[in-house]
Amino acid sequence: MITFAKFFKVNLTVFAGLALSVQAVEAPKHIDVKQLSKKVEDVVVPLPNEVFGALNKLGGVNWREYVRNDKGSNFTERPRIALLLGTVIADGFIAVQAEDAPTVKEIGQRVLGLAKGIGVGNSITPHAKAITEAADKRNWENVRRELDRTQNSVQSAMNEVHDEKLSQLVSLGGWLRGTQVLTTVVNKRYSDEGAELLHQPDLLGYFQTRLAAMPEFNMKLLQDIQAALVEVRPLIDVADGRIPAPAVKRINEITARLDAAIITKSQ
Amino acid sequence: MLSPHRLFNRASFVAALAFLLVSPARASVDDAQSFALQAAEPYVKQGFQIREDYWGGDLGAGEKKAVRQQLFKGNEYWFWMGSEIEKATVSVHIYDSEGKLVEQPDSWQKGHFAAAHVTPTGTGSYFVIVTIEQSPEDRTHWALVYGFR
Repeated sequence: MITFAKFFKVNLTVFAGLALSVQAVEAPKHIDVKQLSKKVEDVVVPLPNEVFGALNKLGGVNWREYVRNDKGSNFTERPRIALLLGTVIADGFIAVQAEDAPTVKEIGQRVLGLAKGIGVGNSITPHAKAITEAADKRNWENVRRELDRTQNSVQSAMNEVHDEKLSQLVSLGGWLRGTQVLTTVVNKRYSDEGAELLHQPDLLGYFQTRLAAMPEFNMKLLQDIQAALVEVRPLIDVADGRIPAPAVKRINEITARLDAAIITKSQ
Repeated sequence: MLSPHRLFNRASFVAALAFLLVSPARASVDDAQSFALQAAEPYVKQGFQIREDYWGGDLGAGEKKAVRQQLFKGNEYWFWMGSEIEKATVSVHIYDSEGKLVEQPDSWQKGHFAAAHVTPTGTGSYFVIVTIEQSPEDRTHWALVYGFR
């Protein structure tokens, strides 16, 4: 057994070691990005609420307009469930922005059902419960955290069983729904700052690369998404980040069409 | 701004705990993540939402790794790096897509903890560069978490 005194001694030793090792190395003011490119890790997919948070700071967003709580279709194909799961989690973040507790709770249950459908329900049961509890208390920070944990747990469970491609589709579904809502908001009241939030060319490139590596998912919906991303890319890949109103409108039309295809059974 | 003293007390406590509970053979990126999260914890009270996802791996002394990250103008970000090797020195810095250092002056580096703070002036891709500056080990686990508000 470790006595407190022994523990304290170790603690002090570690602290002394820490103090001695403090020695800041000044960072270069410029680096050659081209030299780095071979070592660059995959781009990290932001959560929908990262862009919603930035959008919110521009003011005047009535999030209740974008809340969606219909149960939607049920699918059996795992890639479709994965896409829908990402979309529904994004809907959860929208409901949090709108502070709509009943919808948040419904979405928590919907996410659980979809996760079960894809075989990873066990990993998120505690998070679904926590979402309900936090929504009842209107503790929106906790709901956000649990939605993040839900997505993380679902994707970790998928990765553990080597379903990385499904995990990427979850991210893609969330990104498409987030982009649809972002473009709807900016389309209603255009501003350069709002439109600039669409400047995500590397993220788009990441999704294009990932989709191209999924030939085994021979589905019309995925082919449609691939074609749509090819159309969207030049609209957002602008050197100065200034994305004009017609481009925002076009991206909105494209993402709205894809979102409808993801949540309905006709595709 | 974060109090270094407070960080050191908390960090040393966790480091000691990790030292006692985790044998070197079992040390992993997950252990490094716990240190990165420890560095992040005080910022939660300042309203930062810490992402559940994180990046990690192992590097030799002097080696760097770049993570490409989409940042949104209007948000404020902190990136926290940690390693379970307490005698290691790590650093994290943020550059824009042109390779210009863009982090705020309150970014910090203290032994096996480091953090970089950025308020993006434009929406787009940024490079987060993590480095194991010094380490007594051949390979040193590292982890990077980030938060935004």
